[in-house]
Amino acid sequence: MSAATETDEPIAPPRPGVLARLLREPAAAFSLLLVVLLIAAAILAPLLAPTDPYDNDLSLAMQPPGSEGLPLGADAQGRDMITRLLFGLRVSLLMGFAAVVLGGGLGAALGFLAAFYHRWLDGPIMRLVDIMLSFPAILVGLAIAAIFGPGIFSVVMALSVATVPLMARIVRGSAMVVMRLDYIEAARATGMTDARLIWKHLAPNCLSAIFVFATLRFGQVILLGSALSFLGLGAQPPVPELGAMASEGRNFLFFAPHIAVVPCILIFIVVLAFNVLGDALRDALDPRLRV
Amino acid sequence: MSETLLEVNGLAKHYPVRKGLIVAKQVGTVRAVDGVSFSLKRGETLALVGESGCGKSTTARLVLRLIEPSAGTIRFEGVDVTRISGAAQRAMRRRMQIVFQDPYASLNPRLTVAETIAEPMLVHGIGDAASRRKRVEELLSLVGLRSFHAQRYPHEFSGGQRQRIGIARALAVQPDLVVCDEPVSALDVSIQAQVVNLLKDLQRRFGLAYLFIAHDLAVVKHVADRVAVMYLGQIVEVAGKRDLFAAPRHPYTRALLAAIPHPDPQRRGQVKPLGGDLPSPLNPPSGCRFHTRCPFAQERCRKEAPALRQLAPGHEAACHFAETLPAVGLDFTGGLSEAATKRLALYAKARAA
Repeated sequence: MSAATETDEPIAPPRPGVLARLLREPAAAFSLLLVVLLIAAAILAPLLAPTDPYDNDLSLAMQPPGSEGLPLGADAQGRDMITRLLFGLRVSLLMGFAAVVLGGGLGAALGFLAAFYHRWLDGPIMRLVDIMLSFPAILVGLAIAAIFGPGIFSVVMALSVATVPLMARIVRGSAMVVMRLDYIEAARATGMTDARLIWKHLAPNCLSAIFVFATLRFGQVILLGSALSFLGLGAQPPVPELGAMASEGRNFLFFAPHIAVVPCILIFIVVLAFNVLGDALRDALDPRLRV
Repeated sequence: MSETLLEVNGLAKHYPVRKGLIVAKQVGTVRAVDGVSFSLKRGETLALVGESGCGKSTTARLVLRLIEPSAGTIRFEGVDVTRISGAAQRAMRRRMQIVFQDPYASLNPRLTVAETIAEPMLVHGIGDAASRRKRVEELLSLVGLRSFHAQRYPHEFSGGQRQRIGIARALAVQPDLVVCDEPVSALDVSIQAQVVNLLKDLQRRFGLAYLFIAHDLAVVKHVADRVAVMYLGQIVEVAGKRDLFAAPRHPYTRALLAAIPHPDPQRRGQVKPLGGDLPSPLNPPSGCRFHTRCPFAQERCRKEAPALRQLAPGHEAACHFAETLPAVGLDFTGGLSEAATKRLALYAKARAA
């Protein structure tokens, strides 16, 4: 034993917590700030917005950014872009979160079950996943909209359903690798229940795959959601939604590019911030990367 | 101390080999473990030795029911535990624990040492949070670690320290039997001595029985009370450690012992290494499984499988000609290499210290 271990006191200073480790990385700290700001903006939209999102003034239609009283201009109906963006952010973030949490959660659960009860459940679950995978999200969206009627709820359902098989496959692959490791066998040898084994030993060690995919998927889901809105399955016209705003602006791309470009920039910022934060969070949560 | 703790009878694990894209037909069976029987007394160490692929580790996992046996029975304290499941099985697991070969893979990297060691107690509802914390400290000092190590993560430790953590975890629920699956073969020689001695000390203190899987005969010679030699999924010889090293009765055991490097140049030419490879357990040889490589094989060996039979009290071997084999002509008791002898001396020294 080295001299260091002869002392009774630990030499290392107390470990920084997850948040402290997260903030140490500049990119991570910035993305965290951005995500907090975006969420706050979405929540506080009614207070922050200068006007009502449905107030239109056709005399202001397609005013470019920088016009008087309209820093980001107005859309084709003469509604303030800032207001529309704030309310659109609300819908988009909610949609993205709900779909990733619901679909990703269910998918991860299926993936864990398939890997853990490989012998009995892997075949049935993965064939089910294959079937789900063979339907495009748009088609699922159409079917769900036909049942529940178009709206945000239908979009969230469709996006969740489209997320389940992808998450299930990724988690299963990751979990199968972990299942082969000795500590899973060691956990089994202690005599714990399967539920505890999955929750305490299998799942935490698959976290990095889940995190990476969830953050990537978050961006995809927002874009897919706007595609569904564009088809008239999601947010219905007066309701602001970032993707829908971008697709409306498409018609005026040559006369008033800001109507499409500004929502796209916001989508870009949202997706980027969540991706960087997701990566940083994955690293901060991994004890092996702690210093 | 002579009470039988574990009794294994005709234990087997057969893996079906399937072929076919749509309808999978069974085209063969891998007989990883094929009819293994042994018993283990309380406080005793039985070493299971053999070359890689002979089924040692599979046997260990079968005993713990980490793999389901295809045939045979496992009796623990006289109770048949071969088919128990659910809560009864989980309760039984408290009595038998395992120490793994690879200290880098056997600890969950996401749990602190304290969480890892306390978990078996938590699972079996032993004590409350405070008493468990105290017990973790006790166990850490028992295996030669410090109490401040409890809050660290496995990656912050060396291989030897991790192996100690694995041992502490196994001891947390005060088992009667610990299966050691090559617990020191992944460690440095100097660390091996520490861990082997730790295992021996703990055995003396707590009356543990060890099923000790190994391929290193120097380690076996140091820790075992009895040795069982496995070949191709079967036990070919069981004897007390002294008997086995002094008078091996099975040709395979002899070959194994003769293969230990020896510093005496006089022995050169006297030792004929075994030719060939371990036959496939998918298609084991007829009769005696060792006949393809046995220098003494005769017609009978090809046709008739020899049973494990008693040759002397406590000494069993599965060879038709165990009594009539030519004398070994080699002294295996001292037949350890210089390096191995040094290591044994090192073990002894470390123990005395």
